[in-house]
Amino acid sequence: MNPVLAVDGLVVHFPARHGPPVRAVDGVTFTVAERETLGLVGESGCGKTTVSNAIVGLVQPTGGEVRVAGMPVRGADRRTLREIRAKAQIVFQDPATSLNPRMTIGAAIGEPLLVRGLARGRELRERVAALLTEVGLRPEHASRYPHQFSGGQRQRIVIARALALRPALLLCVEPVSALDVSVRAQILNLFVELQQSHAMACLFVSHDLAVVRHVCDRVAVMYLGHLIELAPRDALYTTPRHPYTRALLAAVPEPDPALQRAKPRVPLQGEIPSPAAPPQGCVFHTRCPMAIAHCREEVPAWRHLGETIVACHRAEETPAP
Amino acid sequence: MSAALEVSDLRLAIGGVNVVDGIAFSVAPGEVMALVGESGCGKSLTAQALLRLLPRQVRQTGGRILLEGEDITALAERRLRQIRGRRISMIFQEPQAALDPLSPVGAQVREASGLASAAAREAVRRMLAEVGIADPDRRIDQYPFELSGGMCQRVMIASALISRPAVLVADEPTTALDVTIQAQILDLLRRLAAERGTAIVLITHDMGVVADIAERVAVMYAGRIAEIGPTAAVFSRPRHPYTALLLAAIPRLADEPKSRLAVIEGSVPQPSEYGAGCRFVGRCPFADARCNAEPPPLLETDEGHFSACWHTERLA
Repeated sequence: MNPVLAVDGLVVHFPARHGPPVRAVDGVTFTVAERETLGLVGESGCGKTTVSNAIVGLVQPTGGEVRVAGMPVRGADRRTLREIRAKAQIVFQDPATSLNPRMTIGAAIGEPLLVRGLARGRELRERVAALLTEVGLRPEHASRYPHQFSGGQRQRIVIARALALRPALLLCVEPVSALDVSVRAQILNLFVELQQSHAMACLFVSHDLAVVRHVCDRVAVMYLGHLIELAPRDALYTTPRHPYTRALLAAVPEPDPALQRAKPRVPLQGEIPSPAAPPQGCVFHTRCPMAIAHCREEVPAWRHLGETIVACHRAEETPAP
Repeated sequence: MSAALEVSDLRLAIGGVNVVDGIAFSVAPGEVMALVGESGCGKSLTAQALLRLLPRQVRQTGGRILLEGEDITALAERRLRQIRGRRISMIFQEPQAALDPLSPVGAQVREASGLASAAAREAVRRMLAEVGIADPDRRIDQYPFELSGGMCQRVMIASALISRPAVLVADEPTTALDVTIQAQILDLLRRLAAERGTAIVLITHDMGVVADIAERVAVMYAGRIAEIGPTAAVFSRPRHPYTALLLAAIPRLADEPKSRLAVIEGSVPQPSEYGAGCRFVGRCPFADARCNAEPPPLLETDEGHFSACWHTERLA
């Protein structure tokens, strides 16, 4: 079966006024299948947001290819792009800025159906009511405005709008990062319910490794524009093969004082280098506790290790879990 | 040992409503005490009150703040200026926004030191080195835009601590930082508290950060302390339903993936919705008539562990 989303060798460079271009994404390859949720994690500036923007054609790739439901995004004419955007819907971080404050939420949720001529009048109202119910709101909420809702409710509204066209692919970009803990749990529960009731593929972009583990089937880790590890969830969290993945996991503060304080510290020295001047060889070698001369010279190739795909010269030397 | 900071019955009002309503806690020298809670719980207002930096529309309607035994609530602005930065300092969430973009970072740390220029440069250099800035001789003359977010936070910490204040108020100091940088900054704060004997009041929404660094924690909800106690006790045996539900609502690395997370129904009430009784009443599974009518007092349930709930005993 063809994947719903196929990203193949994606490169996105942004030209700079002075100096070399910013290499935001530098050769990223992955697929997402129907009914599958892939987590895309990494720290600020790693390129995860640029990848998601390139998928829906919001930025032009410099190289490589993105296919949504088999259709190439690059070079797509307006009609194809319109079709792609019906198949791929986005949920952004901040629901407050994703909704038009002057539009009732019923109109906002119904708009995708209306502009594509899929429903109108009474049928449209019924579809909107069903969508509201599906995300845990009530049909009578349709006539209210965004400011009358809390942050968590607004994110439900944004999700309802994204589901309106029954997309094949749902892109969630930091969908719970702006929410308080108690509200975040409500949205994550909703998300897990929707995974079960819909066949769609989902790309879940987040910096929060605990949240990603909670909702994703596979996880891709990015660093400085590169994918450095891609693995099924349990493999990634129990046997992380890349030293960066290990450092990232060690840095997540666990809400359990006994566990957290007993945890071995794997402090990463220094900071993420500039994507305008990425290091030679492995991009992580400047901060890697395992780096050797070879790492400074040669870019590590993608290798399969069990279920994991990893780009590290020393991936076999993973300490036992 | 006497407390570096002691807050009793702090009340802050906006309009006619106490948005901070009877907060009390103390912090010992070298101790890290966390105030944790969700948006609107009053943790940041409490932090601002500690330095008398409250927005104009907020009025203090009660309580005392003792800094090394001295009540600073009634001090004139002139006296307060002598205290801020010297005996109590603050660092903020966005270090780049808190630093002056037009001034080299070394000059900003020196300004906070109050030292004359001859001795100052060396003192600043040493302080930058102490907060873990590599190559301080070069960094000292650079501007904030030349430094990363993590490094700017180190500069802020340097300028906050160079005068050896008794208390450091850290308002979400790692929220804008990446996890690997956050881990570095938390290690730094922990080390500085221990080595310099600085009392740290850490304001955060992140239970993971609390678990990592705080010796004691006060869980705030809607302007009140729901529960306060040693971090290990509060996490392993929460005595307030809000804390218990909040802890269960966090996805953890050890949980079953895609399992249902505990949910606190509804959302945090607006100040205009506060009733006469417990402010958690609308979302609490234990709520009854008494909870609606009377605010529960903060009572000791175990040694040093206090909870404000009429139904503490139902949390086995």
